[in-house]
Amino acid sequence: MRVLVVEDDPLVGDGIRRALNGGGFAADLVSSAEAAKSALDTEAFDLVIADIGLPRQDGLQFVRSLRNRGQIVPVLILTARDGLQDRVTALDLGADDYLTKPFQVPELLARCRALIRRANSVASARISFGDLELDTTRKSVTAGGKALELSQREWAILECLILNAGHIVSKNKLVSAIADWSEDLTLNAVEVYVSRLRAKLGTAAVISTVRGMGYRIDEPRS
Amino acid sequence: MNAPSIRKRLLAWLLLPAVLILTAGTLSDYFTALPPYRDAYDQALFDAALAVSAHVRTDAQGHRTLSLPPDAIAILRYDSYDSIFFKVTTDSGEYIAGDRDLPQLTEESNNPARGFIQYHGESVRLVTYRTKGANGVLDVSVAETLHKRDHTRRRILGTSLAVDICQLGLVLALIWIGVRLALGPLRTVELQIASRSARDLTPLPRESVPTEIEGLVTALNRLFVTVRATSDAQRRFLESAAHQLRTPLTGLQVQLELLTGDPAAAPVRERLAPLLEATQRLTHTTQQLLALARSDEAANLRWEFIQLELSEIVESTVADRISAALGAGIDMGADTEPGTIQGVRWLLVEALSNLVNNSIAHTPAGGTITVRCGADFLEVSDNGVGIPVDEREQVLGRFFRGSNARGAGSGLGLAIVAEVAQLHGAAVSIDAGPDGTGTTVRMTFQLNR
Repeated sequence: MRVLVVEDDPLVGDGIRRALNGGGFAADLVSSAEAAKSALDTEAFDLVIADIGLPRQDGLQFVRSLRNRGQIVPVLILTARDGLQDRVTALDLGADDYLTKPFQVPELLARCRALIRRANSVASARISFGDLELDTTRKSVTAGGKALELSQREWAILECLILNAGHIVSKNKLVSAIADWSEDLTLNAVEVYVSRLRAKLGTAAVISTVRGMGYRIDEPRS
Repeated sequence: MNAPSIRKRLLAWLLLPAVLILTAGTLSDYFTALPPYRDAYDQALFDAALAVSAHVRTDAQGHRTLSLPPDAIAILRYDSYDSIFFKVTTDSGEYIAGDRDLPQLTEESNNPARGFIQYHGESVRLVTYRTKGANGVLDVSVAETLHKRDHTRRRILGTSLAVDICQLGLVLALIWIGVRLALGPLRTVELQIASRSARDLTPLPRESVPTEIEGLVTALNRLFVTVRATSDAQRRFLESAAHQLRTPLTGLQVQLELLTGDPAAAPVRERLAPLLEATQRLTHTTQQLLALARSDEAANLRWEFIQLELSEIVESTVADRISAALGAGIDMGADTEPGTIQGVRWLLVEALSNLVNNSIAHTPAGGTITVRCGADFLEVSDNGVGIPVDEREQVLGRFFRGSNARGAGSGLGLAIVAEVAQLHGAAVSIDAGPDGTGTTVRMTFQLNR
């Protein structure tokens, strides 16, 4: 998977590039929006990471021009913590997620994987998350090559969590994810499915409960 | 000691002279009223003396007698208030009639002569009139006790005192009211200054300022401008420094994080870990300084105040910090009830994040952190090490670190909470956690502000 990093600070850019390499991504680093656009014109990327404070054309204008040109590549915006308005604007303009500086490497990798995973799940039938491989047409899942027996609802919950990896998924969102098959699902029923899912996944993935908010899936810590 | 108040000085300088002038007026009224009434009464005595002298007769032997019948004498002596005495003698002192022991005034210059004397143990007014006529030279003295005169004097004194006291009271009241009214604008300015927030450095309005203190208000406004310029410069410096620091720090942190995980750097990993930690701390403190600087700015400019859902602030804070909490093996959750306030979102998130960070740092693995909100509050509670009761006030100050503090915090976290709370008119309370251990920090907002 190939990531384009648009960052004008060499130390940060190089750090992101190395972090991505370490996380198994191929990464190209450019230092301006103009350079990024010409790179995107000639090569295919799975993800763009753009700093909001770029020289000349800033990250927001960059996202806007990408979307105006019909580029659907997922974009992760890097913002300052106090740049709330930038964040909102970035998402409105078509960015897919944001990460605040300073960030930690695992967080950056988790966000990148989640964005690429989500984009790929639309294009292909396969989603991978750590050792887990999901086949979205056959609704099957393997952990380290071994098939896991999941009910349709458990599978739907797993898919929903994985596609939103790195974010907390509310119980309501999970209910609507399995609503295709359900009559009237209570929030308590979601808890039951999640705990069954946890038992079946074992150490392949960690589903954490965030009291009062929902669940979050993480790859197991190595 | 304060200098005496202007009001007191004005009152003193106006009231004392007013009292003196009115007192002097009363006295002069009294003393100018005395001679006319005294002369009037003396005239009556003189008339009586004249009448008596007219009735002295000289008989064939040359004896002079008073030819007044007893009835007439009774009339002469009759007075409803006073006792009246008289005596008639020749100029050589030979007794003719009347009260034998009544003294006589003999003055060459004044005729009739008058004066006060003691007679039978009582003060009396005595008039002696010397006549020269067919009967030779006679001295006729008439005296009366002073009851009538005393009574009249008291009445004059009483009336003028009453009038003057009324006047005095009226003048005093007018001065008091006048001083109060005149000093009203001063009080207005005082209230205007007192009701300002300590950070409000906008100029005072000049419209209602009296000329006398216009200079003072101008000087104050000039001072405000200077203070504001200074604090603006300071804030700009802090903010620009924080901005300038943030990018290199991010790079440094990422690079160190990568190095720490790089197998090639394995031999120096032990030395890299503290470097990474120090960088993270530096990054964190920089962010906090920026938050403090921006909070000051928000306080001055009142920008960015919008309607906020407290639950959204709680959820976004929890979402932001959940990785850190899960990484530390802490069960973190949210407990939200509906509530809306006017505020600056990112500052509230920053404040709440600082509370959550504190909780994460001071709660052991297996502990619990709950971020709550209700109609008018934001709260973070944990069952960690807690803050001793006597330090709970101090921890809100900048750079204070509690005796239980763990990790390498900057001591700014709770100061930011206090600052952000103040900006939003919220009160910060620090208590023990729900089961008596740990800490609960709550920001309570005033609704309908």
